[in-house]
Amino acid sequence: MRLECNNLNFTYPGSRTAVINNLSFSMKNPGFNSLFGPSGVGKTSLAKMIANSNFKCNYDIVTEDMDTILYSYNLERLPGWLSTGKHLNKVTSPENQSLKEQLIEIFELNDVLGSRFSKLSMGQQNRMNLIRYLMQDFDLLIMDESLANVDEKLRETIILAIKELFNDKMFLYISHNLMEVSKFCSQILVFGKSPGKKDCFVIEGQDCKKGYLLDKKQLDMTMLEIMNAF
Amino acid sequence: MKINNFIFWLLLLFLISTTNSFAKETKVNYRLKWLFNTSVAGDIYADAGGYFKDAGLDVDVREGSPEKNAINELELKRADFGVASADQVIRALDKGAKIFVIAQLFQINPMQWIYRRDKPEIKTLQDLRGRNIGITFGGNDETIMNTLLAKAGIKKKDVAITGVRFDFTPFFMRKVDVWPVYRNSQGVILKDRLAREGEDVYFFNPADFGVNFVANSVITSQAMLEKSPDIVEKFLKALLKGWEAAMDPANEVHTLEVVKKLDKGNNNLIRKKQLNATRNLIKPSASIKIGTINMEAWKQTEEMMLKEKQIKKPVNIYTHLIQIK
Amino acid sequence: MLFRRIYQFLIVYIIGILLLLMIKTGLSLSDYVIPGVALIVETTGQVFKEYFFDVMNTMSVTILGQCLSIIMAFTVGIAGRKSSWIGSFIKVTAYNIQAYPIVALAPIIFILLGDGFIPRLLIASMICYFPLLLSVLGIMATPVKDIEHFYIVTGRMRWQLEVKIRAFENLSKLTTVISGSATLAMAGTIVGEFIAANAGIGYSIRIALYQSDLAKIIVALFMIGIIISIYQGILETMGEQIKARWSISKKGEVL
Repeated sequence: MRLECNNLNFTYPGSRTAVINNLSFSMKNPGFNSLFGPSGVGKTSLAKMIANSNFKCNYDIVTEDMDTILYSYNLERLPGWLSTGKHLNKVTSPENQSLKEQLIEIFELNDVLGSRFSKLSMGQQNRMNLIRYLMQDFDLLIMDESLANVDEKLRETIILAIKELFNDKMFLYISHNLMEVSKFCSQILVFGKSPGKKDCFVIEGQDCKKGYLLDKKQLDMTMLEIMNAF
Repeated sequence: MKINNFIFWLLLLFLISTTNSFAKETKVNYRLKWLFNTSVAGDIYADAGGYFKDAGLDVDVREGSPEKNAINELELKRADFGVASADQVIRALDKGAKIFVIAQLFQINPMQWIYRRDKPEIKTLQDLRGRNIGITFGGNDETIMNTLLAKAGIKKKDVAITGVRFDFTPFFMRKVDVWPVYRNSQGVILKDRLAREGEDVYFFNPADFGVNFVANSVITSQAMLEKSPDIVEKFLKALLKGWEAAMDPANEVHTLEVVKKLDKGNNNLIRKKQLNATRNLIKPSASIKIGTINMEAWKQTEEMMLKEKQIKKPVNIYTHLIQIK
Repeated sequence: MLFRRIYQFLIVYIIGILLLLMIKTGLSLSDYVIPGVALIVETTGQVFKEYFFDVMNTMSVTILGQCLSIIMAFTVGIAGRKSSWIGSFIKVTAYNIQAYPIVALAPIIFILLGDGFIPRLLIASMICYFPLLLSVLGIMATPVKDIEHFYIVTGRMRWQLEVKIRAFENLSKLTTVISGSATLAMAGTIVGEFIAANAGIGYSIRIALYQSDLAKIIVALFMIGIIISIYQGILETMGEQIKARWSISKKGEVL
């Protein structure tokens, strides 16, 4: 499983400024990775390009052993005519039913399965949206701020559960939470300026798993390295 | 300075002369009851023949239609004179309208119904049962037919009443059996049309069954009579002169030419037949002066309408009839 | 909502009557031109039953015509939502035709089809079809990205689901335009009847016009106003109930 970019350039039609300028990186193997950087640097644009099969044809983006790439974002909504539980049932295959129930338990959504999507809080909505993506067949899932409005403790629980239950998949987690990204991600593509004067670079995160013992020093170094990029 | 004075006096003279010329003719609006056709030959002739102009009147003769009502226009001051049938006048008086009849044009009511000879003849009023009868809503035919039906004790459900307008198609297509006509205008047209198709017709005349309403009459408002009696007199005299000239056989050619300019829907032969028929209804004999008001006929009309509850109370119609000599 | 519509109509109607009476008094017009209150009341007693059935006749044509136009608008709107050539053609045609006063075509319809039920139904449905179609086209051609995205990327999107999503998300707009088209349909039906029909309240108004009987026209206008207010009130109430059932809105706000 490999995700690779080779001198990728992208400018939106009608715009003079390139969103992505000569981007090259490589991520190998399944794992919980991240795209990190300030607003407007092109994280979402890159994510959409990775998910869009048209771009792969240009050989700027290489995805090896990745047939299905899904992109999800935090503003998504479920249709409002059924309860969220019924919607989840409709998009979950029979073989994934037990996994779904497990995730509902972990994501603390048992109490809202009977409610319509509009009745949920923003955090509940984002979690519900994420669950339905996790129920699909995918090789790479891009989570663009998918845990926004979720409290820190629950976010940690969710990320650890995803890493454990989907250890054969690759994730790209887009977040502005520096500590979270440094703690739980395996490879972090940082959008910024590195000491080597490259715009973007990949650094190794702490990749903490369930039952982890946190190495604070290492964590601080990772976070420092990321911060020095801006 | 001298030139300026000269120009000033010239301008003043011009203004006076134009004012004078405008003051020569009084503008007057005259609303007819129906469309321009031979039935209103006298009205058209009075205008085209210069009778109004000679009387110092600039008369705008306007054709009527089902949507237009001369009595409404008199009250709303959109018309100074109009033509209405007796039932319209009496109904308006019943509702408090302040109008007066100054001349009666039709001495014999032309309102009849035409039907094909392949239908059984209407010999009694009971023969109306089951027929599809056309009426012009708001017209004197509606009032006359209601009177006939009431007289015969026929309820509305025993006949099929169809509202009709300008278009004869429902009659040609046999959707309506009995079609309302003025005997002297539409009657002539339809009889001729059907004759060309090899079909003969009957005419159903209400007068044969004792229903004799007064037809088209010239009306004006009380305000007009009170404020401008001289204009009323001038107008009526000019109008009746126009009618006399139009009904004079010696003027037939000129009358038909004048009517033809406004009645573009018919041919010369039809117009000639219509004019002959109109003459018999407007001036049935040489001794009768055109415009003569038949007081008795008017009273009879009022009595019939009162009896059939078409008006709520007597209107004393004779107090609203003015025979201007 | 229903009562609000009715008393709003009554307020407007009474103001209209008062204006007429002011004109009557100001210009010293007789009952023949503008009837007094007594004559209006008397005429109401004479024609109320007949006009009630006439209005119900017109309403039946209106409701059927509106239903027909809703079905047609949704069918064409759903077919025309795509940006393919047929979708563009439908959009352009709808925009151009809706600018034309459809009621002006009524005489042609009556000439070709006569003056029975079908021409009246056709006029009623054509009158409210184009505004409905434009609304439906606008709704169906606008993706609801936040909801549709999941189904597109997972390959689950079908045209039925797409239509359902877009209709549901714009239910407020749809119910508003449908209840608004009720007035259009009623107006179109009455005008059509006025021109050339042989039934309905428009026909009765035409007869009253020929008879110069303003009292009858006033009674007819009252009947029309009350019935259409009730109908619109019912439509709006139904719309609110549908929205409440789907928890879409409370007092216009999306929850």
